[in-house]
Amino acid sequence: MAVEVKLPRLGQGMEAGTIVRWLKSEGDQVAKGEPLYELDTDKVTQEVEAEADGLLLKIVVSGGEVDVGSTVAVIGAEGEEVSIQAPAAPSGTDTEEAEKPSEKDVSRADSSSAETQAASAESGALEKPSDDKSQGREGADREARAEAGDAAVAGAKESGRVKASPLARRKARERGLDLSTLRGTGPDGRIVAEDVERAVATLTAAPGVLAEQPAPEVEVVELPSIRRTIARRLSQAWEAPVFQLTVTADASELGATRERMLGQLAEGEVRPTVNDLLTRLVAAALVRHRPVNALFVDGRIRRYSAANVGIAVATPSGLVVPVIRGAERRSVREIAAARADLVSRARDGKLQREDLDEGTFTISNLGMYGIDQFVAVLNPPQVAILAVGSIADRARAVDGRLELRPTLTMTLTCDHRAIDGSEGAEFLRTVKELVEAPALAL
Amino acid sequence: MPEVTYREAVRDALTYALRTDERVFLMGEDIAEMGGSMGVTQGLLDEFGPKRIRNTPISEMAIVGTGIGSAMQGLRPVVEIMYEDFLTLSMEQLVNQAAKHRTMSGGQLSVPLTIRTQGGAGWSPGAQHAQQLESWFVHVPGLKVVFASTPEDVRGLLWASIQDENPVVFFEHRTLYPIKGEIPEELEPIPLGKARIHREGEDVTVVATGRLVHESLQAAQEAENDGISVQVVDPRTLQPLDEETIVGSVRKTTRCVTAHEAVTRGGFGAELAAVIQHGAFDYLDAPIERVGAKFGPLPFAPALEQWVVPHAADVLDAIRRTVARS
Repeated sequence: MAVEVKLPRLGQGMEAGTIVRWLKSEGDQVAKGEPLYELDTDKVTQEVEAEADGLLLKIVVSGGEVDVGSTVAVIGAEGEEVSIQAPAAPSGTDTEEAEKPSEKDVSRADSSSAETQAASAESGALEKPSDDKSQGREGADREARAEAGDAAVAGAKESGRVKASPLARRKARERGLDLSTLRGTGPDGRIVAEDVERAVATLTAAPGVLAEQPAPEVEVVELPSIRRTIARRLSQAWEAPVFQLTVTADASELGATRERMLGQLAEGEVRPTVNDLLTRLVAAALVRHRPVNALFVDGRIRRYSAANVGIAVATPSGLVVPVIRGAERRSVREIAAARADLVSRARDGKLQREDLDEGTFTISNLGMYGIDQFVAVLNPPQVAILAVGSIADRARAVDGRLELRPTLTMTLTCDHRAIDGSEGAEFLRTVKELVEAPALAL
Repeated sequence: MPEVTYREAVRDALTYALRTDERVFLMGEDIAEMGGSMGVTQGLLDEFGPKRIRNTPISEMAIVGTGIGSAMQGLRPVVEIMYEDFLTLSMEQLVNQAAKHRTMSGGQLSVPLTIRTQGGAGWSPGAQHAQQLESWFVHVPGLKVVFASTPEDVRGLLWASIQDENPVVFFEHRTLYPIKGEIPEELEPIPLGKARIHREGEDVTVVATGRLVHESLQAAQEAENDGISVQVVDPRTLQPLDEETIVGSVRKTTRCVTAHEAVTRGGFGAELAAVIQHGAFDYLDAPIERVGAKFGPLPFAPALEQWVVPHAADVLDAIRRTVARS
């Protein structure tokens, strides 16, 4: 019995993934648990394992973006017939912009389906297609054609580089066109100038899509998966009605506490940062104010008892937010060690899915850049995020006198659908108290 | 405008030079009574006498060496190397002497020497008598290299070469001697370093030299029947090279084929391809195609000789590759 390999949902909020490459070829024997293909999701690229033993009968989707739950391959026994058609490309993907397949591609798709049929005829296990199938045939064929077009695009990009003539590259650059969305008609699928011209003509025919002609001196950056995710999620975040609360805390004790800790460090231990202390203190505040330690999902608020604190990390490819789970139960030293590991793996692009999942709150600290204070955008579906500025000596009234004290300004962004102003304010007050007297929490 | 053969055009330029400049004299093997192995210098002995039309022994090194010496002494020698294959024997004089004296003397000396020679396949003279070695000389600073393909060009370029203050290696192609073409009434020098656009086109530029100019024009005509518009450019002088015209043409057409009868590997087309890819990189829509002879000594057997060297069909194939679709 053939088993369909479906694209798994690897984490909350995952709707689609991009198949980077197959680690097995059609006809290969695969064992359950063996890596089958590489999947690029919102957050990480990881290997997906086979869920069954058998022969990889067919790779339905050779590459590109696929919706969760779509069949991407079939594993079965030798000689089994496969009647899976490739799914239509998910909505909103680049491929939609590519023009319709030309006559040539149709014939290519036809010949490939003919091959499939011939292969199944040979196997001697040809199933009679059901009436449903014959009725749906036209639609399926159309999908197959679309897929054939995609395959051509993927083919040109196999090496990770789009094949295009220098002229085509220049024209695409001048017109702000993403070459990876085009299909090349030159030798070996090379994109030639004519392909770019045709795409521009198609786009300009649709009013408003590409109004301006040459825009020199513009660097066009194609969004890698991570950037696309950042763009999509932050746009989502923008839909939430938010408010911000700001508080300034005296950081003298925080600094002193850190100094003491540094003095007690064992050889080779990770030096805790201010942010590590803050992570611990915020976690303590979160478990006391559960409305803030929550997610807003499908119109429901999910409050958590454990504080899984995400820390925003800038990496060369973009922002990621690895999570320190149960931060309220961990010591600052443990948090520092966990943070150091996460950050170094984040910068190397080696984070696993589980490093990023199940965050309930996020801290974004730009203090090291000398930013006094700022407003962070929500990290949905979390309902709040804390933006932390720099610690610096600032004028402050102390007992009726003006003094220079190290201070720290923090801004909490709250999703008003889940949190009211008073709830946010109470949480932030606790954070301030703990920052000014860390011993209360440590 | 009168119509003459390529052979007559060469003779006309030589005659004009001998008549108008008493410093000019010719020297070479069998150029006097016999009129040269290709009949180019026929009749010149009668008009100018044995002092200015001089036969030499079979000694290419001495021919070029004497040319260099007399040029440095103020004469304008035009020496003939009967087959360009034999330029190999005069290499020391050409490469180490003729090319160097002007710069090594700080400009105190100059070598206004013209070395005429001819070669090319078509008559099946075998591996040692039909080579195309022009690109060797392009690699030597101090030498100018001319390769004319029409009666008009060969006449004007030869006159310009004789007047030039530098040694010029002047290539003629033996199968071109009988071709006819119009020439201007008055002989005007054609400046060295100026390409000629033989045919305007929009889709592909063919940069061709020598015999392949004519093969390329034929290929362009056939390509036009397929709806491919081909521009044919002849650099005419390989050194100095009219990069502006060549690169400009490829920037316009976005595709390029280079064509010469010489072996493709290391041929002048390689230099052209390098110049073009640099000057027109962002304008290229296809890899530059090179057309040239197959990499082997020229066979004596006529059928094999024709198989080794390129023809219009090879240029046409290359043109089609540049506009190909998968």
